[in-house]
Amino acid sequence: MAIELTKDVAKKLMEIKGEVRGVVFGIDGAYVLKEKGKEGLKKVEEELEKLSYPIKYGEIETFNYYPVGLRVLSLLAIKKVFNFDDKKIKEMGFFGTKISVIVKFFIKYVFSPKKAFNAQTSRLWREHWTIGDLIPVELNEEKKYAILRLKNFSLHPIYCKYLEGYFPGPFQLMIKISKMTCEETKCTFRGDEYHEYLIKWK
Amino acid sequence: MEVEKKEEEKISILLEDLTSLESYSRDLFVFLPLPVCLASSIGIILEANPSFEKISGYKIDESIGTAIEKIFEKREIEKLAKETLEKGFVRSRETNIFTKDKRKVPVSVSTTLRKSAEGEIIGYFIGLFDLTEIKSTENELRQAQTALLNMLEDTEEERRKAEEEKNKTVSIITNFADGLLVFNEEGNLSLINPHAEVFFDVKSRDIIGRSILELSTFPTLATLVSLFKEEIKEIFRKELAIKENLILEVSTIPMVSGEEKLGNLVILHDITREKVIERMKTEFVSLAAHQLRTPLSAIKWALRMLLDGDLGKITDEQRDFVEKTYKSNERMISLINDFLDITRIEEGRYLYKPTLESIENLIQFVINAYKEEIERKNLELDFKKPEKKLPRAVVDVEKIRLVIENLLDNAVRYTPPGGRVTISLRYAEKEKEIEFSIKDTGVGIPKDQQGRVFAKFFRGVNVMRMETEGTGLGLFIAKNIVEAHRGKIWFKSEEGKGTTFYFTLPLKEEFWGFLKEF
Repeated sequence: MAIELTKDVAKKLMEIKGEVRGVVFGIDGAYVLKEKGKEGLKKVEEELEKLSYPIKYGEIETFNYYPVGLRVLSLLAIKKVFNFDDKKIKEMGFFGTKISVIVKFFIKYVFSPKKAFNAQTSRLWREHWTIGDLIPVELNEEKKYAILRLKNFSLHPIYCKYLEGYFPGPFQLMIKISKMTCEETKCTFRGDEYHEYLIKWK
Repeated sequence: MEVEKKEEEKISILLEDLTSLESYSRDLFVFLPLPVCLASSIGIILEANPSFEKISGYKIDESIGTAIEKIFEKREIEKLAKETLEKGFVRSRETNIFTKDKRKVPVSVSTTLRKSAEGEIIGYFIGLFDLTEIKSTENELRQAQTALLNMLEDTEEERRKAEEEKNKTVSIITNFADGLLVFNEEGNLSLINPHAEVFFDVKSRDIIGRSILELSTFPTLATLVSLFKEEIKEIFRKELAIKENLILEVSTIPMVSGEEKLGNLVILHDITREKVIERMKTEFVSLAAHQLRTPLSAIKWALRMLLDGDLGKITDEQRDFVEKTYKSNERMISLINDFLDITRIEEGRYLYKPTLESIENLIQFVINAYKEEIERKNLELDFKKPEKKLPRAVVDVEKIRLVIENLLDNAVRYTPPGGRVTISLRYAEKEKEIEFSIKDTGVGIPKDQQGRVFAKFFRGVNVMRMETEGTGLGLFIAKNIVEAHRGKIWFKSEEGKGTTFYFTLPLKEEFWGFLKEF
């Protein structure tokens, strides 16, 4: 997945309609701080400034809405500055569910995985995004898998990887599991109508 | 439009409030110094604060999503969870957590149930309090307590042993055949055994704790206490007539432990029976001696008359026989006189006639009497007088002369011909007494018999082999006479090399006081 992050690419991304809650930038900032420290975060902020879309991670308001393009730019800048591979991007997604304050709202439903899956999946997405629809397709606790479908959302391939890391997170809070995998089985960037994720655990 | 704008403003304010609230609760959670985590009802950690990260060693994102039993002991946390879900909380339960690096940390756990707005159980908060330092202090205290308990046990054991020892000692004292009195360091009576109670017709409860001065007010104790004045003095086998038919031999022994003086022990040995037997024996000897002396005197005069030719001329052979008989009779008379002296001494009838005398003259008088015998035995006699003339001493001339005679007689008798006898006299200014000594180069006294030299009828084994004469009473009499003069008598001797006898006599001031007693 070769990305050439230029001002033009940034501008094009910023033209995508839709908004996302500030919490996602908080996750990015916290991850960079954890992995690379303050200096690392500063470099990311400088990179974004070069693209003419500066983000001051410390000043982001958790519950406010920001352009969806800015969310992709944040990920791309981090990837570029630290030369992160897909595994690292997935790790960021997984980290996100652990510290996201919005995910913590979701915690109150963990007493019933089924209920949470069926009733709260779409809501959890809606808490974050003004675009796209996350649909709970199936949760099979016996066979230990779940399928999530993401429609009307075609932001950038980097976000497909990020979500591969992000989606297992809530399951880990609901079910005692030792190992979990998530695979994007369908993707709009590969010509499918929607994104579909198969989450398996042991 | 206006309504829309107002709604937007409201939303904006609400968002700001929400952000502030989120920031506030996050800061509070981060600041909280106590480790806190939130566990789901099925035991998954849903949230943790930095203090929890610190105590567990797991990063916050590592803890979240982790099964709680990874950190807590499974059985303990199951019990805690069950109790929390049932009761709604648990307060200050001690348990352990296991850190990422497998360390076991003692903690106090409190839990509180968390429910959703709809009343459904979400999980429970777990608050921890690190007990490491408290446990460490507790452990140190426990060790100190154990050490103290051990010390206490040891002390108790020692106390028990001491108590046992004390009981044994009390038992020994109580059942001791002699009467015993124990005085503490302050001079107060701390113990009296039953025998002593009987001796003095007193009860211990009436006299325990009393000083010597207080004891002197008890009539039955007055005689004993008069020995001590105000404090216990060292006494060895002092005879004391307490009442009619009760004579005690009193000895005192200082009780010491290491260098610490604990008090004094007074031992009272009942010698009444011995004294009665002794008196009977003395009376018998006295009677026998008196009865023997009259016929012996008659024999003496008859033999004298024969020797002097008053009864007619006798042949040389007859004279030789009569002379031997006369000498034997003289020895018999001398022996009888010794017996009489001894009985008088033992009965306390040995009367003294003190006069102020020159000891030098006394000695010279005795030497003169022995001159012939000394020459006959070819002995060399030396009388070393002090350069400065000695002060005169108050003595019973006859008795002291007897002492000197006995000592010189022994020296001459047991020194082989060619030997030397040296008599010395000196004045010990410090002690204010005259010291007499007589040294010979005679046979000496065997070491194993030296302890009995002043006993009645003592004669050395070596002496008995060489000399048949001698009664073994001379030194006994000498000792009694010297001690009656408040003097001391002793000797040094080496078998085969010779013997030196010493005696001292105190000078007049002190002795006059003593003489008043007679």
